[in-house]
Amino acid sequence: METRAAARTSPVRWGAAALGVLAALLGLRVATGSLPVDALPNAVRDLITLSVSVLVESLPFVFLGVLLSVLVQVWVPSSVFDRLLPRIPVLRRAVMSLLGVLLPVCECGNVPLARGLLIRGLTVPETMTFLLAAPILNPVTITTTYQAFGWDHGILVGRIAGGFVIANLVGWLFSRHPRPTELLTPSFEASCRAHRDHPVAGHRMRRSALGFAEESTAMLPALVVGSFIAGAIQVGVPREVLVALGSNPVWSVLALMVLAFVIAICSNVDAFFILSFGSTFMPGAIVAFLVFGAMIDVKMLALMRTTFTTATLARMTAVVALAALVLGFGVNVLA
Amino acid sequence: MRERFLSHGRGLLLVLVGVAAILWLAVAGKLALYIHPRYIEFTVVMAVIAGVVAIVAAALLPRADEHEGDHEHAPRSRRRATLLTAASVALIVATTAVLLVMPPSTLTSGTAAQRDINASAGGGAGDAPVLVAGDGSGFTVKDWAGLLRQGADEQYLADARPDVTGFVMADPDDPDDVFYVARFVITCCAVDAQPVGVPVYSPGWRDAHPVDSWVQVTGRFVANPSTSSMQAVALEPADVTSIDEPADPYVY
Repeated sequence: METRAAARTSPVRWGAAALGVLAALLGLRVATGSLPVDALPNAVRDLITLSVSVLVESLPFVFLGVLLSVLVQVWVPSSVFDRLLPRIPVLRRAVMSLLGVLLPVCECGNVPLARGLLIRGLTVPETMTFLLAAPILNPVTITTTYQAFGWDHGILVGRIAGGFVIANLVGWLFSRHPRPTELLTPSFEASCRAHRDHPVAGHRMRRSALGFAEESTAMLPALVVGSFIAGAIQVGVPREVLVALGSNPVWSVLALMVLAFVIAICSNVDAFFILSFGSTFMPGAIVAFLVFGAMIDVKMLALMRTTFTTATLARMTAVVALAALVLGFGVNVLA
Repeated sequence: MRERFLSHGRGLLLVLVGVAAILWLAVAGKLALYIHPRYIEFTVVMAVIAGVVAIVAAALLPRADEHEGDHEHAPRSRRRATLLTAASVALIVATTAVLLVMPPSTLTSGTAAQRDINASAGGGAGDAPVLVAGDGSGFTVKDWAGLLRQGADEQYLADARPDVTGFVMADPDDPDDVFYVARFVITCCAVDAQPVGVPVYSPGWRDAHPVDSWVQVTGRFVANPSTSSMQAVALEPADVTSIDEPADPYVY
């Protein structure tokens, strides 16, 4: 009798506890908000500011991605995907790479969504194709790239076509893998299997709560670590070296790809960022920056590591980097 | 209890830490220290939604006794669970310390020095400022830096009456005689900040204005008297006043 009463009151209690934690955290912040800033050395201050900046910029997108992931896992029937997607694998992946049109989320929000798609039963290569293509093939990114460059030097066309081809190339390569589930981390693979073999029973709201808590638990620690690494690299690597190399015909493509990798900037706005340097960069280098950076960077690797094994990510990064290099040199030759 | 912390609790706690940080920054008007103002609305809306969902999720999560069997996870060894718990607690404490204890701050000249001042024009080629028979009143550091970068010389700028604010940063090529009145230009968030600056010729400037302090400078543009500075044109100051850091330290 007593335990039943406790079970009935505990939802309210846990909700109130969470509210209490939030209030306590806000209280802590109000109390410390006006501490002196100058006590720390400049490098430490900038490390903190840069890491917090990456984190604060990405958090809303990750929240959105987690919510969409829960939506896909709990509220969208799996038959929807069977009905809408073609049966031939190549066409399925091609359609998946256009899914970003419906879900214009920044790339860091795509990772939780991709996990939701995997749990829903889509294959690993299909999900990878989505993950790599969606940051580029979505209306927000295409619009900002057009606003920044118009039709100049084939940059917009290079980005859209290059992004589509590279994402589908990676998807095709990994589809040749004999056991694609081995590309996933063991714990996430087990989680997918558990969802498939024992579909979570119970009220949808409750399953949504569980999904939100599990996805946050997978994503946020990785995001925090990724933001810190991105901030530390910013303090440690002098950017002027990369920018200076960016105007060199030979090194430009490689230099801007490294810049894209360390700066970990959202694909929705990276076109404006690179444009602000004026016309010093080769067009091929800009295309490589816009394609490679949208797919792979330090923060994305930290986030994707929650889902894919290190070996998988190393191979994926190598293929995308090589393809982006070829694309960059190709645009430089043609433009 | 520990299993619940590892599978759900730590994520919800980190959500609450992030939400508290964003909401306080928004209320204190300091969110723009980290992200471009156009993202503030979206960021605050998502933070409110995530906060509400986290609290509701905490209330709705299946209890420990009803959780058994309905949802299996990869089994964790006792030792691994202990390590993971310790690492998660450390991560949550560190995140709380950085987001909720450290006071918010702007980037310093240390980062500016590393990012090649005036490498970027700050904004697209289309919105470069044009100075037509005016004195350029209302022009910011970014506008003047854009003009200088395009090669505007002292004759073109003869009628200009610049009145700029920014932080002090030494010119690496002539650190004793020339300093920059500098600002960071933000495209998306503080990570992509690019420094822009107007060179000021003022031998011995360090005595009155330390690096990183904020100043307001008026004067006129002259051919740079410095022999070692790379800047052809510099501001000859009529007046350099120390000011407090403005509420909106970045330019866009």
